[in-house]
Parts: sequence; C-alpha cells; structure tokens
Amino acid sequence: MTLVEQAREILVEAQSVFATHPDRASLDGALERLDGPLRVAIAGKVKAGKSTLLNALVGERLAPTDTGECTKIVTWYRDGHTYQVMMHPVDGSAPIQARFHRDDGAIEVDLQGRDAMAIDRLDVTWPSSGLRKLTLIDTPGVDSLTDGIANRAFEFLDPEDRGTAADAVLYLMKHIHSSDLRLLEAFHDDSVAEPNPVNAVAVLSRADEIGAGRLDSMASARRIAKRYGQDGRMKRLVQVVVPVAGLLAETAETLTEWEFKALSQLANAPAKELEPYLLSADRFVDARPETPLTSLEREQLLGRLGLFGIRLSLALLRRNVVESSVELADELVSRSGLVELQTLLTTLFVDRADVLKARSALLAVERLCTDTPEHPGARELLLSIERVMAGAHPFNELSTLAAVRSGWIKAKDEDLQSLERILGSSGTAPWQRLDVDEATPPDAIRTAAIEELGRWQRLAENPFTTHDLVTAARVAIRTLEAMITDAAAPAP
Amino acid sequence: MTGTDPHADVRSTLNLAVQAATAYGRPDLAERADRLMAQIGDPNVQVVVVGEFKQGKSSLINALVNAKICPVDDDIATAVPTVLRHGEEKRAYAVIHPVSDGGPVPDDAEERRPIPFDHVPAYATEMGQIDPSIVVKGVEIDLPRKLLAQGLVLVDTPGVGGLGSAHATAALGALSVADAALFVSDASQEYTRAEMDFLSQAQDLCPSVICLMTKTDFYPDWRRVRDINRGHLDRLGFDAPIVTVSSMLRAEAVRRNDRELNQESGFPELVRMLTNDIVAGANNRERARSREAVIDICDQLSSQFDAELSALNDPEKANELVEELEGAKARADRLRGQVAKWSTTLSDGVGDLTSDIDFDFRQRMRRITQEGDAAIENSDPLDTWAEFEPWLVNRVSHEVVSNYAYLTERSSSLSSEVAGHFEVDGQSLVVSLDVHNPTDVLEGVHVEPSVDLSESTVGKKGMTVLRGSYSGMFMFTILGGMAATVVPPLGLIATAAPAIGLVMGRGALKDEKARQLTKRRGEAKNSMRRYCDEVSFQVNKDSRDTLRRVQRQLRDYYSNRAEELHKSTTEALKAATQAAKVGQSERGSRIRDIEAEIGRIKQLRDTAVALQAKIEGPAPAHAGGSA
Repeated sequence: MTLVEQAREILVEAQSVFATHPDRASLDGALERLDGPLRVAIAGKVKAGKSTLLNALVGERLAPTDTGECTKIVTWYRDGHTYQVMMHPVDGSAPIQARFHRDDGAIEVDLQGRDAMAIDRLDVTWPSSGLRKLTLIDTPGVDSLTDGIANRAFEFLDPEDRGTAADAVLYLMKHIHSSDLRLLEAFHDDSVAEPNPVNAVAVLSRADEIGAGRLDSMASARRIAKRYGQDGRMKRLVQVVVPVAGLLAETAETLTEWEFKALSQLANAPAKELEPYLLSADRFVDARPETPLTSLEREQLLGRLGLFGIRLSLALLRRNVVESSVELADELVSRSGLVELQTLLTTLFVDRADVLKARSALLAVERLCTDTPEHPGARELLLSIERVMAGAHPFNELSTLAAVRSGWIKAKDEDLQSLERILGSSGTAPWQRLDVDEATPPDAIRTAAIEELGRWQRLAENPFTTHDLVTAARVAIRTLEAMITDAAAPAP
Repeated sequence: MTGTDPHADVRSTLNLAVQAATAYGRPDLAERADRLMAQIGDPNVQVVVVGEFKQGKSSLINALVNAKICPVDDDIATAVPTVLRHGEEKRAYAVIHPVSDGGPVPDDAEERRPIPFDHVPAYATEMGQIDPSIVVKGVEIDLPRKLLAQGLVLVDTPGVGGLGSAHATAALGALSVADAALFVSDASQEYTRAEMDFLSQAQDLCPSVICLMTKTDFYPDWRRVRDINRGHLDRLGFDAPIVTVSSMLRAEAVRRNDRELNQESGFPELVRMLTNDIVAGANNRERARSREAVIDICDQLSSQFDAELSALNDPEKANELVEELEGAKARADRLRGQVAKWSTTLSDGVGDLTSDIDFDFRQRMRRITQEGDAAIENSDPLDTWAEFEPWLVNRVSHEVVSNYAYLTERSSSLSSEVAGHFEVDGQSLVVSLDVHNPTDVLEGVHVEPSVDLSESTVGKKGMTVLRGSYSGMFMFTILGGMAATVVPPLGLIATAAPAIGLVMGRGALKDEKARQLTKRRGEAKNSMRRYCDEVSFQVNKDSRDTLRRVQRQLRDYYSNRAEELHKSTTEALKAATQAAKVGQSERGSRIRDIEAEIGRIKQLRDTAVALQAKIEGPAPAHAGGSA
C-alpha cells in the first residue's frame, strides 16, 4: 500500500470518527488536497519579488506587480478548466465569485467595494500548464507597513487553529534577515516533523540587483547563495538557497516579438553612442531623440527587463549569441536562474509530492485528535498515525535528513554529505542519491549502492560510532537496500 | 584651509581680545580667547551614516570623498565603524583590542595601530579578522579633502541588520552622540517596517537626519519610491529631507570629469546640505560662543576702569564704593575653592549620580535575568536557544543604551544645577560685573540655563552633553565590545536527538529527556548570567569614566570663571582704592585716560556684538574639486 493510500485510509476513518465534529470540514479539505497537485507557497518580505517569481514559474503574467506594496491578500493560483476568481471572506461565509479583468496581462480582481482585510483569500482558477503539477500560493509580504497585512503571511503559514495550507514553501529573500528566519521558523513549527528543512527552499530573489546590474551579477549572486546555504541557521530551515533574477525570468518567459525587435534595433546602434545612455535608468529613458525607439518605448522596455536585462540582452545580441526571439528568451531564462529553480522544484518537491502530501494529511488528522483527545476514537487514530509514520520509510528519511541538517548528528563532513545525499537531499532518483551520472546503467548503480551499503553497515556496527549516527546510518542502510532490490528487479 | 576663511571676522575679534587682555595684564582672559580661537572652523561635526546592510553606505562614502576607502563588495559587508576625518596626509589606523581568553582584559589594552592604506578593507569587513588574537573595533582614516576640512567627520557604520538587532541599538546609540545622521536606503523599495521603526526612534535622538536614497541609477521607479517614502515620513510627523543620489554616477562623473553627470548623481545637493546645513550650523554655534566670550572678556576688563572712573568722578562716594567692592571681592572669593556652593553641588551631584546610574543599571539587568529565567523555565532551551540568544543580546544592548540616556539626562541637569548656583552667587557682584549666563559649560555644548529639571526627558536636550564628552565611536565601541562578549554556548548538540526520537519510538526517551531538560535549563541560565556579568563589568567602568569626565569639565570651567571674577574684582578694588587717593590735579587727566581705555574696550565689545551669529555656508564643491 502506498503512503498516499495509507493516508487516505486514515483520513476516511477520521471522517467517520469525527462525523459530528464542527471541524469536520478540515478533513474533507485534507482529502481533497491528497488528490490535487502539491501546494507551494511563495513567501518573503515586502517587495522580495514574490508575485514576479510566481509569474515566471507559471510562464504567464497573472499576479499583478507594482513598485509599491501590491499583494495584500493571500491568492491561490490553480489549474482548472475555466477562468474564475473566488473570494473567501474572513467571516467564513460562502465564497463569492468575483469579477476581474486583465490589466496589462495581470489579473485585477474587483473586490466590489470590500476591504482587503475582510477577505481571507482569493482563489484563482486558470487553465495553465505551468500550474498542472503545482498549485502556487502568493502571500503578502511579512514586515509590511500596513497594519494587519504584516501578519497575514504568518497566519497563513502558521495558523493557530488549523494546519498550514501549504505542503512546501519557496522563501524569497534579498539577504538573511532576522525576520526572514522568523517566518521560516514559524512554518516549521509543527509537532510531527520537528524543525524540518525538507519542504522549504530559499530563493535569493532580485539576484540581478546584487551587483547593481553589472553583467557578472548572477555569478556574484550564485556565490552569495552558496555561502548562505552553508550558514548553520539557514541549513536548519531550508534545503538549499538558489539565486533567481525574478524580473528577468518573468519577462523572458513572456518575451514578445516586439520586444525582441526593439532590443535588436538598440543592439544595432553603435555601441559607443549608446553607452552613455546605459549608465542609468533615467538616461536610458531620456536619451537623445536620434537614439532608436521613442522615449515611451524605451521606458516600457526598461520596465519589463530592468537595466540588467537590457544590458544583458544587448550584449547577447551584439555578440550574436542569440539570433531570434526564441533563442533570446531561452538564453535569458537560463541566465535568470529560473531553470535551476524549476529543476530543484521537481527533484525536491514534485518527485516527493506523495510523501509531502501524505504528511500534510496526517498532520491535519493529528491536530484534530490532539485538540480533542477525549473524543471517542481519537486515541486509536493517533496510534494509527504513529504506526504509519514509524513504518513509512520516506518519513524516516525526511526526519533523519532534518536531523542531519539541523546539526544534531555529529560525523565527518564527507560522511554527513553522503548521508544527506543517500537520504534524498538532492533528489530521490537512485543516481541522485548515489551521486553518479544520470546515464549510469542499473548494474553500475547496483554496484555503487552495494559499496555504499557496506560502508554504512561497517559504520553502524563500529562500537565507537555515536548512538545518533548509528540510528541515522540504519535509515540510510534501509534506503540502500531498497535501492539494490529495485535495481535487481527486471524492468517491466 | 583653502579659499577665503568664512570665520576671519571672528578670528580677528578674538585676536583683538587676546591682545587687549594681555595689554591689561589679564593672561587668564587671554588664554580663554586663545582656546576658542583654536576651535573656530574646526567644529568636529560627527555625521553618522546608518542604514540596513547592503544599501550602499560604503559606496556612498567613497563617492563622497572620491576615494576607495570603505570596502564595497556584493557580499561582504562592513563590520566595524570607519571614521573619516580631515588630515594633511592620507593615513589609516585600526583600533584594536586583544581577544579576552576568559579573564578580564585590562582597560588600556586598546591600541590605535597605524595600518597601510590598502589594508583598510581587510580590517573593516566582516572577513577582516585576520589575526585571531585581536578584535578590530574600528578603523580611523585621515584624508586631505576639502569637504572634511571644515570639520566634518564621517562615520560609516555596520548595517543595522534587521529589526531590533543589537546592531540597530548600537546605531541608535551612535546617533545619540552624533551631530547628524545620514539614513541610507536604496531605491529598490519603500521603507520596511524595521526601517520605519528605526527612523521613528532616530527622530528623537538625533538633531538632524537626512534620508538618503541610493542607487537611483538602477531603479527606473525611484521617484515613486521616494514619494511613497515621503508619505511614510509625513505620517510619522518627521520632516527629514529625502535626498536621492547615485554613487555609481558620481564615481563615473569624477572619472570622466563630467559636470553634467555629477549633477545627475545628486551629490552636489548632498554636499551642499552637509556643508551648509550641518557643518555651517555647528560653525555658527562656535561663532555664537566666541561672540559671547568676547563680550564677557570686555566686561571684565572694563570693570576695573569703571570702578576707578566712578571713584574719580565722585570722590565723596569713593569710600562707599571701595566698601561695596570689598564685599563683591569677598563674594567672588567664595566662588573659589572647595567651599563654594557650586563646587559642593558638583561633587555631591556626581556622587549621587554615580550610585543612581549604577543602581539603575543593576535594576535593568535584574529585570532581564528575571525575564530570561521565566522564559527558560517555560521552554526547552534546545528549541529556543537560537532565538533566546539574540533576544538576550538585544535586550541587554537596549538597556545599555537606555542607561546611558539616563546618565546623559542626569548629567545634563546636574550641569545646569551647578550653573544655577554659580549664577546666583555671582549675580550680586558689582553692577558692571554681571556674570554672563554660563552658556558654554561643557566643551562644545550649549546648555540652556533654564533646563527644567523635572521635564528634561531622554531627548535632544539631554543628549547634548554626551556629544561633547564622547567620541562618535563610543557607542559602537561599547556595544561592539558587548557583541564580542559572546553568550557562552550551550552544550546542546551532544545531549539531544529528538528528531531521531521518531525513528526510535517516542516513549523510550521520555525519562532521559526530562533529566536532560533540567540540565539544559540550568546551563542556559548560567550562560545568561555570565553574559550579563561581563556586560555589567564593562558598562560600569565606562559610566564611571564618563561621569569623571563630566565632573572634570564642569569643575575646570567654573574654577576658571571663578578665578577670572576674583581677579577682576581685585583689580577693580585696587583701582578704586588708588583713585580715592589721587589728587585733584591729576584727576582730570586720569579721567580722560580711563575714558579712552573704556572707549577702546567698548569698541571691541561693539565689534563682538555686531558679529553675525550666522554665516552662509561656502559654495558647494563640484565634481573632482574635493581632491
């Protein structure tokens, strides 16, 4: 029986146990969630670029973005057959269908005179391939100056009365800040998994701004992301830190033919003449009339690409690295760091979606049981949950991984690194766990796994190994054993 | 100094005062004028540059002085305060302190070590702890720059680093002793909550704040961000100006010697504000001080002639006058020495202050440990220590700053109390000998004689005393020193593996867990106490030193004034006594002589009175012109 099936069984059982409980609806929600795509929340401080990154991930301009603070309501974006926006009022009354229009591509929802604070969340259904595997949730900035909004992200990620609605979180930040860490800690504050970095990824957003738009900005950002990733505090909270130039990624994903033509026109102008106008944003817009394009067009281009995007595109076009709009878009997407982030989301979240979703479902039941421990049947349910949790190897992997990353297990650095990998820190495919080439044939994978197995068995049996490490090693041994069995099984 | 001296008039008046005092045999008064002269045009105006980290503070300072002084890097941030002041030659020093290996470090261990100029970035950044046996507390740089030559001192600070961190408190502390602050944020977004919190506190602590918005070259929407920020400031009721600059454009402008580009960078406006509003403001205070001092010197000088003249003009009343003057002299004598009332007030006051400040601090620390104990009892240090530690450091630094604010406020009211006594006792001296309001009690400080003791709060007024008594690095040094006082770590890692508990089954660990929890709580409390002890030790020493400095300054000032008054009354008495004996024949010519002398002194006094208290700032420096 798969993990999802086990979780479903417990949920169904819980539904009958809590048939008369006022919070029964939360179980229905959990069941529905088990079947839907993984829910990934995008969180961060004000102006970290959450909506921009969301658009880039969807590949379409959906979330409105602005210079001022923009997102004030938690907004869900999910795949569906129709275009529809539902408003869920705070008071728990029935959701209302909202009118909306697309302004400059982004969805502008008409609140029909309602106060943003009176709306708990907006639910946008949008047919889009980008949303098929992941439901994305845009959240208002932490640290907002508007009272009430500041705490919305906290309430969403760490509600007091019910489980968090997200299975995983993408945390956007410009630098490590104490308030960033606080929010991440809030998200991890649940009893089943302990502080758990397995379902969170940090994104160094607006990465192009780190070097103030120099062409090597992304390299700089990558270096910083790596350093942050090794920081003990971050390690406890997130799997990995990656840099993404959000604006560039969003624009590249939605680059128009006109924009390509405009950029080509600029690139064809003599570099020497154009150079003084690329010094600052103001200069670029107010350039002399003989410069290609009108001032209004240049302003539009600047708004879409930013100074970094324009400098980069011109360099690419001039050196003939790219020749068509498709090529330019691809090159910009890959340079923006978006591809790396998408791969990461697949290996860390999508491939593990079942485990993460089952975990969320069991958490929902557990919460209900511990809240009303004297409810008939609650104790039995708790025991079933513990049985599933203890028996399911993926959960053990997750919690051991969390313990390793939190620094609770002491061992040599190389041992820890390989332990993390075996437990699935860089992906759950055998080649990822064993750190070999993707094209490695099953036989070679098996040999590599047996070799690792021997190493960890020796370590587990060594009397000088600490108790914690032995426990962790046993989990790794089980993972490796399963891998060897799978590799031996003939392909169907 | 280059160009015309804007203070030539004050200088020449002071010079005349020195000559007059020397000519009339009053070297004490001449010395006073001489001292003031040295301070004219070099007001030592501390401008602290604060802001969240990575907002372009260091680039800003580099662009302002046209030199690569402060390290600029995409990743590495400034870690220690860097002080830039004028010097004839380029020089750099590192203020270093040996690392304590557990035992207390002697106070004089701090050292100002000259370092090669290109080593500055290494010393100033967080990567800069090259030598593990020392802690770099700050970097000081002398630079020959026109901008700095007028007495401007720029202090680059480590980034505030998030809401309510220890650094933020340190930055607020530095603000409270500075003359002005540049609050730096970049144009990428409007002020965050943390920044607004900081600004609203800074508003009360610092006399003038300029909000600087950097990186306008990179963000097309900087005008909107500026307008949004203006709105935020207005809601706060804060009228600080917002100045927008681009350090990149400024550097480029200097490189190309391009005036137009320099205008675009926004720096000319910033330089104008710094020189006109801030430096000139400080200069004007210095001018006002000199003006009053010269008037006072003239009054004292003419007192003996006035006395002699009255005795000559009205010989019948001469004896009466002599009697009156004897009384005045006796009263002037009472202002001297240990028994003078002001002196008693001062020594008693400092004594009281020392114990009050000490008590205040102990009380604050006690409150922290109580809160900390409660927090530890209610949680497992294993889970919460990561939050607890910054909370503790934060809370302690906050209390340190509050305690200093209290010290400042109290010493300020003490100084006005002493001033009051001196004034009352001095007032009944001869008519022509009014004691001027002692406006410049503490070096560089304008103390209002009518400070309402009950009402002076932790605000601008109280803070002025510290401004003279401390260097701008002070708060950073003390709080930086505290940051170096690491909260002793807990032995958490060896004892716990609750996450693995899941794998092992939960029940088995229960008893062991309870035992370990008690142990951890004990350790956590101990660790907190050790930290508080170490901080108390440092703060205690420092506040005692500060009070001693305050006492010395007040005592020196008033004993000098008392000596001068004594001498003036003595001279006046002597002159009047002699005048009573002068024969009828000589009287006429003597009266003419004296009238001439009085005329000369009056002329000097009139010049002083006519001195403009305010001057316009010099023309703003243009691109490349500040080298």
